[in-house]
Amino acid sequence: MGTYILKRIMSIIPVFLLATFLTSGMIHLSPVDPAEAYLTAAHIQPTDEILTQKRHEFGLDEPFLIQYVNSIIKICQLDFGISYVSNKPVWDEVTYRMPATIQLALGSILIAVFVSVPLGFLAGVKKNSLIDHFSRFLSFLGASIPSFWLGYIFIFFFSVKLDLFPVEGIGTWQHLVLPSITLALPLIAMYTRLLRASVLENLQEPYVLFARTRGIKEKTIMAKHVLRIAISPMITGLGMNLGKLLTGTIIVEAVFSWPGFGRYFIEAIFNRDIPVIQCYVLIAASLFIISSLFVDLIQMCIDPRISRKEGQQ
Amino acid sequence: MVNGGTRQRKLFLTAFILLLSTFLFGCTNASDASKPKGEDNNMLVIAWPRDVGEMNPHVYNPSQLFAQSMVYEPLVSYQNGGELKPHLAESWEISGDGKEYTFHLRQDVKFSDGTNFNAEIVKKNFDAILNNVELHSWLGFISKIDHTEVIDENTFKLTLTEPYYPTIQELAVVRPVRFLGEAGFPEDGDTAKGVVEPIGTGPWILEEHKADEYAIYKRNENYWGELPKVEKIKVKIIPDAETRVLAFEKGDIDLLYGEGVISIDAFKQLESTDNYKTSISEPVATRQLVINTKKAQLSDERVRQALHYGFNKEAMVNGITSGYEEKADHILPANLPYTKDIDVKSIGYDAEKAKTLLDEAGWTLPKGKTVREKDGQLLEIEMMYNSAESIQKVMAETLQSEWAAIGVKLNIVGVELTEQVQRFKDNKFDINFFSNYGAPYDPHTFLNIVASEGFGFNEAISAYPNKDELLKQMSEVPMTTDEELRQQLYSSILKSIQDQGAIIPISYLKKTAIYQKDITNFTFPANRDEHPFTGISIEHK
Repeated sequence: MGTYILKRIMSIIPVFLLATFLTSGMIHLSPVDPAEAYLTAAHIQPTDEILTQKRHEFGLDEPFLIQYVNSIIKICQLDFGISYVSNKPVWDEVTYRMPATIQLALGSILIAVFVSVPLGFLAGVKKNSLIDHFSRFLSFLGASIPSFWLGYIFIFFFSVKLDLFPVEGIGTWQHLVLPSITLALPLIAMYTRLLRASVLENLQEPYVLFARTRGIKEKTIMAKHVLRIAISPMITGLGMNLGKLLTGTIIVEAVFSWPGFGRYFIEAIFNRDIPVIQCYVLIAASLFIISSLFVDLIQMCIDPRISRKEGQQ
Repeated sequence: MVNGGTRQRKLFLTAFILLLSTFLFGCTNASDASKPKGEDNNMLVIAWPRDVGEMNPHVYNPSQLFAQSMVYEPLVSYQNGGELKPHLAESWEISGDGKEYTFHLRQDVKFSDGTNFNAEIVKKNFDAILNNVELHSWLGFISKIDHTEVIDENTFKLTLTEPYYPTIQELAVVRPVRFLGEAGFPEDGDTAKGVVEPIGTGPWILEEHKADEYAIYKRNENYWGELPKVEKIKVKIIPDAETRVLAFEKGDIDLLYGEGVISIDAFKQLESTDNYKTSISEPVATRQLVINTKKAQLSDERVRQALHYGFNKEAMVNGITSGYEEKADHILPANLPYTKDIDVKSIGYDAEKAKTLLDEAGWTLPKGKTVREKDGQLLEIEMMYNSAESIQKVMAETLQSEWAAIGVKLNIVGVELTEQVQRFKDNKFDINFFSNYGAPYDPHTFLNIVASEGFGFNEAISAYPNKDELLKQMSEVPMTTDEELRQQLYSSILKSIQDQGAIIPISYLKKTAIYQKDITNFTFPANRDEHPFTGISIEHK
């Protein structure tokens, strides 16, 4: 178990290197010079003197590989550099905005779990019932409506027309409701269907029949056995989706003026603010790796068969 | 089994506590965004797409111009029609050789911290700017400053290395030539790295700022000029255009103004409800098409003129912008200095004339084909537009179909703004959209970028037979001390550039404003970058 975790943690390093290399490479290949982008965004006419000065300041006059190695060395010292745009340390800028994004992500996970677990479970147990049809309808909606459009619809009805929630911003719990639901709906769509399929599959398993013959109450079988095993793919999905969730916040943050990291990242892309882009990629990559590690560990706890397999290996 | 259940419960409990604490953490410092009107009824709330940035008068992106102009003031202010009026400088004298500028400063001006505004602090600000001269070299007079001196407490002198007439006009820009109080300077005096406190002489003082959320400005009660009528201005940061409109409809926002801050469709829709007041500014700049004469197909003036004749400009501008932009006949709006009454060739929509010109230029239409040819080459050109700008995109599509009718194949390609600028500079384009800088930068800045290599224009007009003469005239203009000669030069240069067809004026860009009915006295400033809050007030019913 310990060795396994260590092995997984060590695997973060090559992924990091690859992610940073790809990002740097893509930025390097982009037809736009970051120094030029900086000046354009600042409404400064880019004269050659300013361009040379800025390129030197950003370290862009070095060969690509040297730029890359330098950035890696700095990252190892937890120095993500200075934002080209704001002239402030990227790490400070990111940590200032991170709590808002985490709050939004957690809010939507919470909603997604609380809605999709009962809904998916009941849809599976009561196949073709009204609740099953409802869950299917909700899933279609969630999977097909783009987040930004859903956000506008929510704002229009619940803020402008009914005045139940604020249009935008952050501060009170009311501010969190609409953006969280907007972000949660695609997750609800996915997890509900995932859990339903998994429940249906598990109902065919011999252990259910065995439990019934032992005379265990149907409710107990469902809650203690079926749900526990069936929830496993959903947890995997949840873990795999954490990174996706981070990227999903970008759109929702823009629509609801949520002052998080996603919005900041979008601006960074437009401004070719390389240190910020790199920092974002690193955070996203580590979130993917760490969340999948956590998912594996949780699954080991839930389903002993997995840890036995690991042990045999 | 039991063990597993306990572990699960613990895990769940931990997660729950974590979530709860996050929410509690997130819900402290609540700034209620949807504040009822009565609570702060003399506060004007506006929405802006980006954070106001660091309140530093000497830096650029990501600081927002309008916000900088609320706190910091210039020596000279730009007024309607290009009139330059005294502001922090009461008066000035220019020496006969056009090199020495002596400014007599106002004596009743104090910074927001109560300290005096005087020649010493003016010099200190100039020193900080000149310390980063490369960064500010885009502004013509900065790199021509030889030295600055304090004559006495209220007299400041600027000496240039050569005469440069736009100096006074350039002193009106929002950045970097505005003045920070002594206490705002860092110890080493280098403001490029940041300011200690945003202390200015302006009518507003920054009271509170939460990055990416909002900024609140309060009235400077000791302001030397006319005291603002509203006590506070709250700038809410709402990056999404649709959300800005929805917040405005809900009544959370009093005023939406600017260029592109609200889409034309949304503006029209809100205007049609009759629940709000609207204003449209005078032209602030011209939307132009720049044609690269270095491209073989576009090197012949007749082809360029044919393109100009070959589309219905008025219908296109009105159709796409619903009349919120105005058809342009000049490459610079006529409300800028020296741009009135430029006598240019009048070109209207005339498809037949366009076809004749193309025939004359040797581009003929083979039987059964739709694209003209010359020596086996197709008359095929590419136009790039900024993919984020819907108006450019629709205009490009319109021109594609209009020019197809005269036998010209136009390929259109949408690129990001940064790439558009880069390709323009590198001369990797056939036709590009551009708009000039507007007041207080033009007309001299426009001539400067046309004349200078590396901005795109200089290379684009390569096929002009009189290019060298034009460049020579353009370099003369800023050095003129004779007003009449200056006007003559402007008139002949602008006429020549336009008449040879490398720059086609399309429309005059305007700012729009929409505001709640209790807002009165909203006016657009003559300076494109200045804030529009002078005189604005809220009627209390």
